[in-house]
Amino acid sequence: MIVRAAAPAGLARVRPSRALSEGRFVALLLSPAVLVMFAFTTLPVIYLVWTSLHTLNPAEPYANGFVGASNFVALASDPRFWNALRLTGIYTVSTVILQLVIGLGLALLVTNLGRAAGVLRIAAILPMILAPVVVGLIWRTLLLTPQYGVVDFIGLSLGLGSHNWLGNPTLALVSVIAMHTWQWTPFAFLVFVAALASLPRDPFEAAVIDRANAWQRFRYITLPLIRPAIVIVVILRTIVALCAFEAIFAVTGGGPGTATEILNLYAYNKSFIELSIGYGASIAVVLLAITLILALVLFRLRTARR
Amino acid sequence: MSNLSRKKVLAALGAAAATGPYLFTTRVEAADESLEPYQHANIDWQQAKGETITVAFIPAGYFNNFIALTPQFQQLTGINVQYQKIPPLEIRAKAVLDFTSKTGNFDTHAGDPAYFPLFVANKWIEPLDEYLHDPKYTDAKWYDLNDIFTMWHKAVNLDGKQWGLPSDGETTFQIYRTDLYKQKGLKPAATLEEYTHNAQVLNDPSKNVYGCALRGFRGAGQNIYIWSSIFLEYGGKWFKDGRPDVNSPAAVEALEWYVQLLNKYAPPGVQNWNWPDIADAFSQGGFGSYIDSNTSAMVAVDPAKSKIVGKVGAARWPAGPSGKRAASLWAWELPINAFISRRKKLATWLYIQWVTCRETQVRTSYGFSGSYKRLGVNRYSVLKSGSFRHLAAAVDDWLPVTLETLAHDIPADYHPPIPQWPPFGEALATAVQQALVGQSKPKDALNNAQREIAGIMQKRA
Repeated sequence: MIVRAAAPAGLARVRPSRALSEGRFVALLLSPAVLVMFAFTTLPVIYLVWTSLHTLNPAEPYANGFVGASNFVALASDPRFWNALRLTGIYTVSTVILQLVIGLGLALLVTNLGRAAGVLRIAAILPMILAPVVVGLIWRTLLLTPQYGVVDFIGLSLGLGSHNWLGNPTLALVSVIAMHTWQWTPFAFLVFVAALASLPRDPFEAAVIDRANAWQRFRYITLPLIRPAIVIVVILRTIVALCAFEAIFAVTGGGPGTATEILNLYAYNKSFIELSIGYGASIAVVLLAITLILALVLFRLRTARR
Repeated sequence: MSNLSRKKVLAALGAAAATGPYLFTTRVEAADESLEPYQHANIDWQQAKGETITVAFIPAGYFNNFIALTPQFQQLTGINVQYQKIPPLEIRAKAVLDFTSKTGNFDTHAGDPAYFPLFVANKWIEPLDEYLHDPKYTDAKWYDLNDIFTMWHKAVNLDGKQWGLPSDGETTFQIYRTDLYKQKGLKPAATLEEYTHNAQVLNDPSKNVYGCALRGFRGAGQNIYIWSSIFLEYGGKWFKDGRPDVNSPAAVEALEWYVQLLNKYAPPGVQNWNWPDIADAFSQGGFGSYIDSNTSAMVAVDPAKSKIVGKVGAARWPAGPSGKRAASLWAWELPINAFISRRKKLATWLYIQWVTCRETQVRTSYGFSGSYKRLGVNRYSVLKSGSFRHLAAAVDDWLPVTLETLAHDIPADYHPPIPQWPPFGEALATAVQQALVGQSKPKDALNNAQREIAGIMQKRA
């Protein structure tokens, strides 16, 4: 409408058929972008699903061919797949909760710090701008090396003893969760700092007059007001946690054994190390389905209560 | 002010551009060395002149020496060479991706010999015979294939055809601290049992000295590279009556020995160690001995990095309960990609011939003017030369033990020559690491691996 109003007077005499072709013109202008999107996002997903319906394994080229849902049936009885699914669940839930709690806690602390908050905000961005592979390598070598790493140095100084952080299955999982939380909590922190800064003062002043204590103000005023920020943090962090790969790949490669082999890593190992490309694709399809369903549910939750 | 800083930036960029090539080329003057020894070959080195080939190597000192001498190759043949450096784990996956997509990104690459049956089964690589045995492309007398370690070129001779040639290689043996062994009155182990005993005697965590270390990191080319030797020494066989047999009593005993040894006498963290971690920790005096590649021993005698220079010795693999010694069979083999033009194949052959010929092997080893002189040479004549003996003298008995190991200790069935080795080896690698970290008992871990591997091999049946 605005475009038409601003158009030269000559265009006002456009015939209806011309007006119709404007739709086509718009489609024409959009088509390159749509085609590129289709080629680089939709097509690979279709190809992935198609591959998951095949046996595709260069180690056994004679067995290659269409197998229908066989790969998915095989997944159901594959203990390593269930282990990977369980680990993905633990990894996602724990990292999201930790980021949420720590990020919100830090944001609440920083809100009243005044100038120092600016410095903290800049410091907070640092882990996020590091490549995950770099984070993985830093943690593997500098922080978690038994006896000589920073974590063990602190542990030994405090009399807590030395721990084999990446060699023990449970500690390795704890380590990769801690690593992801360390890198991505700043994101939650920054979102919450912005959300808290934009809160209106009036309800808080009214609550103080009504003698509400700090916890009550937080529970009944702050939390409901920053709910949209919490939901967006949960959605984005869940999706990113489900897509995690590089840092774990660099720090444990999914090991020791299969202790940190989340679905992404299992799909990678199956496809590119063990060369079962069809089977690996079926794992990726399952992960894709889980991510899509979760994203849909979370977005629904967000819009339903608006 | 902004103009001034822009000038400074431009000047700095100009200086960097001018000096860059010198900074990043280890030895430019290498190009000035005489090409005369190559001219003795009765072939036309310039027959693929003007062609450009791409080579994928791993980031390693020994390949850097070949890269540093590449200007000589370019001068000799008129062929341009571009290099890509890809870490060892990823180069296998990248090569397979390149082959499956038929993109011909790498005309040749540093290939794992255990992957060659896979390459051949899929017709991804070209047999070298038509180049190797044609006097137009190879002067057989000058090249002298028989001078290359037999096991190293036989490893990629499949169905009677030669599919690759070794650029750099190694074998495995014991590397130990001569001073600590002397102090405790120990001798290098003759058997695996003695190896455990030595580790037990040397193990003293209160002084930060542990008994021993072996690769713990998961991977067909990592923990399985060492565990295969133990498996074979315990009398394990990869197949029994045509079916995989990785959970036999011998296999379980081999895994139990490995798990107990490392859990009792190895430094913490060994579960994720690959050979560089082991060689580095050993050079800092972290443990009494390890079993790994013969060339890795040189890390411990590098005065710039090591605290134990002059205190390192070599000994053959300890024999297992079966009485056998089983050292590793390993060389980075160079194939020719099947999906490149005829002329590129020829250029690639000339490159492979140049890398693997005696003259280049010498020039990248004791003949190299840089500080790192590679030891993984591929030829008997180089290994037995006086200059090489001098180079190897830094580690006690390195040369005689290497020669004995190459002559007697490498089993032909070190790894089964099957296209399914990548999934086979990975399933086993996972099982071995699961047992090492206590996720499964050795027997259960191997039973799982057996089930998985039997499934893989069943498809063939």
